[in-house]
This record gives sequence, structure tokens and C-alpha cells, in this order.
Amino acid sequence: MKLDCYQRTFAHSSSSLTPIQLPAHLETHLWYVKPSEVKNESLLKQYLDILSPRERENVMQMRGEELRKSALLARTLVRTTIARYQINSQINPRSLKFRKNIHGKPEVDWQFSNDSLPPPLHFNISHTSSLVACGVTVDSQIGIDVEEKHRSIKHTVLSFARRYFSKHEIQFLASITDPQVQKLEFIKLWTLKEAYVKALGKGFSGAPFKTFTIRFKEDSIHQASEIVVDSFDEPTELTSNWQFSLLELANSHYAAICTEKHAASAEGKRNVPTKLTVWKTIPFVVDECVSGTDAVKTIYG
Amino acid sequence: MAARNALLKYLRVKAYSVPPLQNPRETSGGLSQIFRRHFSEEAKGSFLEKSEVADRVLSVVKNFQKVDPSKVTPNSHFQKDLGLDSLDTVEIVMAFEEEFGFEIPDNEADKINSINLAVDFIASHPQAK
Repeated sequence: MKLDCYQRTFAHSSSSLTPIQLPAHLETHLWYVKPSEVKNESLLKQYLDILSPRERENVMQMRGEELRKSALLARTLVRTTIARYQINSQINPRSLKFRKNIHGKPEVDWQFSNDSLPPPLHFNISHTSSLVACGVTVDSQIGIDVEEKHRSIKHTVLSFARRYFSKHEIQFLASITDPQVQKLEFIKLWTLKEAYVKALGKGFSGAPFKTFTIRFKEDSIHQASEIVVDSFDEPTELTSNWQFSLLELANSHYAAICTEKHAASAEGKRNVPTKLTVWKTIPFVVDECVSGTDAVKTIYG
Repeated sequence: MAARNALLKYLRVKAYSVPPLQNPRETSGGLSQIFRRHFSEEAKGSFLEKSEVADRVLSVVKNFQKVDPSKVTPNSHFQKDLGLDSLDTVEIVMAFEEEFGFEIPDNEADKINSINLAVDFIASHPQAK
């Protein structure tokens, strides 16, 4: 039984995952889980069981139950999500292996005995204590970041921005008079910048925040806004390769998704919207497609 | 000769036993901090003592709103022990910059994810005040 949208699907048995087709080109899948909704101790033990020994050790090293749970759910979400795509009938989440690229970005280490090419599946995760998310694409790099809308920060928005953001972004934030709106715009900008850096896969120091600007572009012909990135170091041909979506999830979080534009669409059509499908899940228990519901509000993209 | 000795005896100063020199750090904290900072500015390029750096780093972290001060130890890892995320870590680095008066470059800040690493980095940086 394949997962379509507008459905809530309960797992057939306590260890099964409802399979799903890989996202198409220009399509992104986003899966998220809310730690507060996962309380069953035996379920959590089941999750611990599908992790690799190293991952288990990392989880247990975290200090505090909430931290451990969120770390556990992050690894569980990655493994169960990728396993759903049944690459070459590989549906056991426990059997997945991971490695890091030369810059330290995690990727799947596909274990195929024959000479078949590894599937072009890409993923990226982000977690806060209250929400864990995993984005999946095919044929394009992806970076995601989620933050609580109302998270507190120690410094003022502008002092933080002056230290880490670009001139254009500082001006943008400084021009907002309402402090509450300014704070929300700051959080949105942070998630977009994090998502871009994670998509690039070079780490925080590989693309320092001050060296690129993320801004909202008004397209006067179609009157649609687009999120674009300008970089001082990279030429325009490279930065125009990236596209962004910004969502409000579950009324509580901002989620930014940055993906590589597919070669064909970058040349030809200008604003080919990416299709985004979002599921809320409790792995092995229930999956709920929430696209088009109140749980997912598209801000841009 | 006798005259010389008589003169020397006359000139001899009476010796008093002097109390041992007080360790400046044991005197009132505020005063010794000012004393220390004054010298640091004078002799630019001098390094701070590691134990002082450790105290001040611990203090910055304990004062960070999201951190439970009772969980903070000299070995604390920001993510694993204190539950800080990437935005928090960036803010803590900013707080270190404010405390020690120098800018920490992004490629170095990336690596500072525990109290030990923060102390090592700052103590080895001559611009730290």
C-alpha cells in the first residue's frame, strides 16, 4: 500500500514502515516527528534497537532524558525515512550505513554487492528539542533547518546580526520597527542561512554567514517573491543554483529548505516551484500527510 | 680598619622579618582583576593564565540563560552535556568575545564546542584580555 497525501496511515504491524516512492526531480519530501508525542517506553526501546552501536553510544552519552530522546528520534527518523524508499528492496532501517563526505556532511553509504550505481537520494536532518525533521530529495543536494518560532536569544537581534549577518541583512532587520516582527524575521533568516550552509555541506566555517546574503526578491512581472542568495565569494552562476522554501510547521516552528535547482530548470524556466510534500510521523506507528493542512503554512517557495 | 668597621656598624640597618609576599590573586578579586588587566593592556601580546581563563569561561557559560548552572563542569560539551544547539553555540562564542575582548574567527569558532576547547583556545590567544 503506497502512501499518498491527504491520508493518515497506521502501520500494519509494530515493525513495519509504509513504503513510498522516491521523490521525483524538483520534488522534496519532508518528514517530521514531535518528541512530545512519543512516550511509549517499548517503542523508544524499539527505536534504540535499529541504531548502529556507534549511534547508540552517542545517544546514551547525551546528558538528560530530553536530550537523549531527541538524539534518538533524530537517528530513528533518518533510518526509517530512508528505509521507506525501498531502494533495491532494502527496507530494513537497521541495515543502513552512513558515512561523512570530505567536509563532514553525513550521507548514506549504500551497500550493494553488484555494480549498480548508488541511488541519487540525498537527505538532511535538523532538530530542536521539540521537533525533529528530515528532508529527502533525488538528484540534488539538500539542507534543512528548523527552529522554534519563539525561541529566546541572549543578545539583541541587531547586535547578533551585526556580528554574523551580511550588511544587506542587517539593514533589512534594522528597518523593521516592531521588535516582535523583527525577532521573527531574524529567526526566519537564521534558518534560511543555516539551510544554505547545510546544503553546501561545507560546515559553518566553509561558508561564513557574513560572506553571503539571503534576501527576498520581488518578481515584478509575476508579483511573486523568491528567496535568493548572493555570495561575495561565489560567482552568480553558482549561487543561482540554489532555491529555498520557508514554512511554518505545526504553528510552532520555522523550517527552511534549500535544494539545488535541477540543471534543466535552472536554464529554461525561471521560477519552477518545487513540489513539497510533508508528513508528520511516529515511525512504526502512524504517518500523516500534512501538506495542505494547517500544520504546514508556506511562507515562501 | 677599626674605623671602617665602626662606620659599617653605624651604617648597618636593622633587619626586620618580612611577612612572605602575598599571592596577588588571594587579595580581593576586583582589585587583582584591575591590576591584571592594566598589565595586559600595557604588554600587548601577553597571555592570560589558564586558570583565570577557565574561571571566566565557566562563569560565562553558567550565566547563559539556557544552561542549568549545576550541570556545568570544566569538561562540559555544549551539545552533549548542556543541550545547546547551533544558534546557542554561536551566542556563547559571542559571549566569550565580549568577555575577553577579541574576535574569534568563524573557522575557529566552529571547533569550540566544549568548555575545555574554549579555555585552550582563549588561553593560547595573545589578544585575549
